[in-house]
Order: sequence, then structure tokens, then C-alpha cells
Amino acid sequence: MVTPPWRINEILDRAETGPVCLEKDFDLKILVPELRRVIKDYDIQFDPMTPVPSDNSLADSMWNAAMDLYLEVGTLCTDTHRRIKFTEDEIKEALGNFPGKFTFGYGCDSREITNRQIEDTKRPFCMLSPDITCDEDLFVSMSMAYLQEPLADGVCAPILDEIEGMPIRSGYPTEVKGSVAHAMMFREAARRVGRPGIFLKSVGTAESDAAQIAASNPEWGERLTDGRFVASVTELKINNSLLNKMVHFHTYGCFVGALTGPILGGYTGGAEGTAIVGIAYHLQGLLVNQAHFQNYFPFHLKHTCNTTRELLWVISTTYQALARNSNLISTSNGFTAAGPCTSMVLKEAAAHALVSVVSGGNLWEIAVAKNKHKNYATPMEARMAVEVGCGAAKEKYSREDANEISLNLLKMYEDKIPDAPLGKNFRECYDIRKCKPSTEYMDLYKNIKKELIDYGVPFIY
Amino acid sequence: MTLESLFEALKRSVEEFKTEEAKQITKKLLKEQVDPLKVINDVLGPTMEEIGEKFDKMEIFLPELMGAAEVMKETTSILTTHLKESAIEYPKPRGKVILGTVHGDIHEIGKDIVKIMLEVSGFEVFDLGRDVPSIQFIERAEEVGADIIALSALMTTTMGSQKEVIELLEALGKRENFIVIIGGAPTSETWQKEIGADGWTETAGGAGKLATKLIEGKMR
Repeated sequence: MVTPPWRINEILDRAETGPVCLEKDFDLKILVPELRRVIKDYDIQFDPMTPVPSDNSLADSMWNAAMDLYLEVGTLCTDTHRRIKFTEDEIKEALGNFPGKFTFGYGCDSREITNRQIEDTKRPFCMLSPDITCDEDLFVSMSMAYLQEPLADGVCAPILDEIEGMPIRSGYPTEVKGSVAHAMMFREAARRVGRPGIFLKSVGTAESDAAQIAASNPEWGERLTDGRFVASVTELKINNSLLNKMVHFHTYGCFVGALTGPILGGYTGGAEGTAIVGIAYHLQGLLVNQAHFQNYFPFHLKHTCNTTRELLWVISTTYQALARNSNLISTSNGFTAAGPCTSMVLKEAAAHALVSVVSGGNLWEIAVAKNKHKNYATPMEARMAVEVGCGAAKEKYSREDANEISLNLLKMYEDKIPDAPLGKNFRECYDIRKCKPSTEYMDLYKNIKKELIDYGVPFIY
Repeated sequence: MTLESLFEALKRSVEEFKTEEAKQITKKLLKEQVDPLKVINDVLGPTMEEIGEKFDKMEIFLPELMGAAEVMKETTSILTTHLKESAIEYPKPRGKVILGTVHGDIHEIGKDIVKIMLEVSGFEVFDLGRDVPSIQFIERAEEVGADIIALSALMTTTMGSQKEVIELLEALGKRENFIVIIGGAPTSETWQKEIGADGWTETAGGAGKLATKLIEGKMR
């Protein structure tokens, strides 16, 4: 039997019968000390001068540390106060039955997504996503703008926070209504750009299980060829609502993604702990979230981005560990500090994609402006990321190349992260009727691309 | 040991979150008739303030902050018990805060940090947890006579619940009774102004200063 799902009833049973543990004890008495132990036992050290390490033994040690950690800690279900734990044999069984490739989408728009190796020359799977809320009247226009990007293998829609003049609130009927509308409009947008079968990831508008379930419909809503997310609770936790989604998605038959973002500065501490928990999350994603693919966005507690030096290291080492020790499929989700139509955001996007792809990740690009400003995202930031990511694979870039270039890119933007420029919103830098970028943004893009080429940044064309 | 060296040892035990050591030193200080308020004001308060600043600069991380806060809580408890037993007037908290993550949102890390920073700043905090129904913030605030309602949201899809609490307060004619502050990754000053909250903090670490500023402003 191909995994996932891996023994789905075992998960439901263990969520109700596993060892009892209070959440505070899980965080501070189990996770934190165990994490400190494995960092020490496996001698894991972050090197700020090497955001992209070329040391295979480090990658393997991190995998072993994450496996050790997850075997000891497991996943806490916060509703039942039970730990869902696994044996090493069970983890190996699930990993051993994971196929390492799927076909997302349908018809001539379908694309294969696979696991990738370190320095793989195989083109990464490119998901494009604004990852932010937008005005209701912008939804179709913004979706179409992303959907018509040539390098997009799949697209995730913006999020609605109002529907027909009513605010959408999680757990309220407006959430169900908004989520259904989201799914319908997204399908319409895909057809209007001539890509009806493209892999769509929805429904970000639906935070609750009820609203997610409401949007499943092959005729007008979420199809079996689309993907849905089962998120996690920080760190290494799950709850009944998330497990409800997991059961529904698998019984419905669509693709499942695990959404995981360990927080640097939070319970995982520094870069070392964040990366190890990030790898452990991929085990949880396979076994508990029961995911076909994982979307990984470690981020900075204070700056809510992942283009800092420490986080580039976290991303690189996570993907290297996964690539060398599993065939798990994971998309690397960028979060920048700067906003659209700034030179800084394009450099951050280039750094994130280059580091991710060379280390073995696929791409999910890109949340911008610290992911907190409505309408602040455009396909241009994602375009930069995927052009660089695909270029790195095509041009056979090594980890050493990526390390040198990322150090140069960091020099250009690192000190600006705390007060990064907000830039312009979608209305200000796109023609929203034609779904085309402004001349100003196109000119900026061309200039930055030229500058980056001089620094050795690879582009697919 | 001199008083200075005992103070220094207590400071170190908080920084290294050695609860038992801190409790022993505290008991020793009380045995030597040291004023409990002096221990709180001259050692524990400034030490936690330093730790808070280090956390804000990311020189230390959440487990260290929580560990130090736990030691602080244990030692303060010994000191306040002694104050009560000695019938010495105990300083009132700077204010009472109702805190929680809003309805529909299950994230707690930011809220937990805010709790520590508020307590360190002298506030009494009533933590309602996560996914808190909007009306519950108001009911609990009235029950305990809170000065501030603090609302955390980590999702763009749940920040609307911050607005809902303010709308409910207005509809019930109780908006003027409470200072409302908001925070969380997707929130911003623009959002704060849009929904009519009284304050917003970009980082959880800034919550103590924000609450102090707002409550002092209210008192004036």
C-alpha cells in the first residue's frame, strides 16, 4: 500500500489513548530538554558564515537528531492531551512506502511533483502564492495574475476576509460562505487563463474544519486533483479540528499537504533547534498530518520572515537532511521582510529560492512584507524566486556556489530586515483589469535581474 | 555572604533559571530581615527587565525567558507570602489585564510571551488561553475589574475577531470601561486604527511598555 495515508485509524486511536501530557509540560518539560539533548548529542552547530553548508555528515547528523527527537517526543493532541508516539519501525515503514512522486492537477495542466536531491538538476515544482488576504474585488484579478505566470506548476489563491460586504470570521457562517466563494472564483480564474486543470491549493479562507469540508465539490469547488492543508500547532502539536480535516481530505480523496512552520526564537530556540524540529515536522507531516507533500516555512519570531542568515541555514540544512535520508516531498515557502516593488524583496526572493533548490527543496513562493499587509503581494516576487530556483537547477549550481551568492545577497539586505520597506500593494503596481505589472515594476525587475546576474545569480532564461 | 553577593547570586539564579537555588537565597534574605520589597524592586524586577531586553534582541529565546519567569514567579510568591504574614502593605499591581488569543485562533506563543512581559511590568494577568469567544473577554474583564483587554491573533483569517470584541464593547456601551490592546503577526498599526483599538505592539516583547504607557495615560 502506498503511503499516505499510513494506518489512518492508528493515528485516531493514539490521539485518544496515547500517554497523557499537559501542554505546558509538553513544551517545557519534554520538547525543550529533549531538543537541547539532541543538539548536544549530535553536535549540531550553526555557522553564520555558511548559510548553505556542504557537509553531508552535518545533514545526516541532523536527520538522526530529528529522528531521535521525534521518537522521544511524538506529537501532542491538544484537545485530548495525549501524545501520539511511534516506534522506529513504524516510521521506517511509512517512509519506505512513500512513493516520492505524484501527479498534481489534471489533463494538459497536470505536473509531476517529486522529491529532489541536493544539487539536483531536476526542475523544482513551482507553487506560486500570494499567501495574504486581498479585497474581494481583487480576488479573481490577483488569482489570474498568478495563474498566468509561465513557471507556475500550481497556484494557491489569496485569502478572503470579507464576502459580499460581510466580514469573514473563523467559525462563523460567513466563513463557510466565503470559502465556497473562494473555491468557485479560483476555479473560474484558472479557466479564464486557459489552465483549468492546474493544481490549485485551496481554501486559505477556511480556517475551520467545517468551512474546509464545505468547499469540497468536484463540480464547482475543490477537486480530487487539488491540494488541501492540514496545519500543525506550534510546536509538534495537532488538534481535533486539524485531524478532522485530515480524515475528510483522505476520505474525499484529494491531495494533502502538511503546513509546518517552526519559529526561530520560540520553543525551538536558535537555528540548530529550529532546523531539527523542522525535520521532525516532516516525520509528523507524513505520519500524523498524513501528507502527500509538506509546505515548510520556518520563520523568525520577531521579523516574521525567513530570509535572515539563520533561517537560510535552517532551510538549507532541513532540505539537505531530507534529501539524503528520505524521499519526502517538500515545498520551501519563502517569507520576505520587504514588500512588492522594492529591490530588497527581489533579492530576498532570489536568496530564498537559490538556497532552497540547491539544498533539495521544491518551491512555494512567496509571502512578502512580513506577511501582514492586505493586498501586499504580486506575482513579480514569486516570478523572481522561481526564475532563480529553476535557473539554479538548470545551471547545475552547487552548494558552494549557493553559499557564496547567498552571502553576497545577505550583504545587500540583511541589515534592512528590521525596518524593511513596505513597498506597494497589488493595486499600485499591477493593472488589475489586464492582470499585468506596471512599467515601474517591470523596469525595476529588469534592473535587479541584471544586477543579480552580475553577482552570479542563476536565471532560467 | 554580604547583601550584595546574595543579591548577585539571586540575580544569577534567575538568569540561569535555577528555581531551588533562587528559593533558598530568597529564604536566606528574609531570614536576614531584608525588606522583601527591596528584593523585588532592586533585584527581581531589574533582572527580569534585562532578560526581557535580551529576549527582545533575540540574544536569548523563549525557553530561557519562560524559565526565568518561572523562577521569578516562585521567588516572588515566597516574598509576597512573607509580606502578607507580616501585615506589610503589599504594592498593588499596576493594573489588571485580561489576555487571550481570539476566537478561531489556536496560536499561543505570542500570547504567552505577552503574559510574561506584562507580569514583569507589574500587571496582574488573567490568561484565558486560546480560541476565546469574544464575549468571554468582556465578561471576564467585568468579573475581575480589569483595566486592559489584550487580544492576540496570529492569522489573517482570525484578526477579525479582535474587531468583533471592540464592536461588542461598543454595542454594549462598555467601550470606555477598558483599554483594548492588540497584537500578533498579521496585525499592524493601520489595523489597530481601523478597528479602534487603543494600542498595538509589533513584538510581544513590547507589550509591557505599551500597557504601562496606556494605563499611565489613563490615570492622568
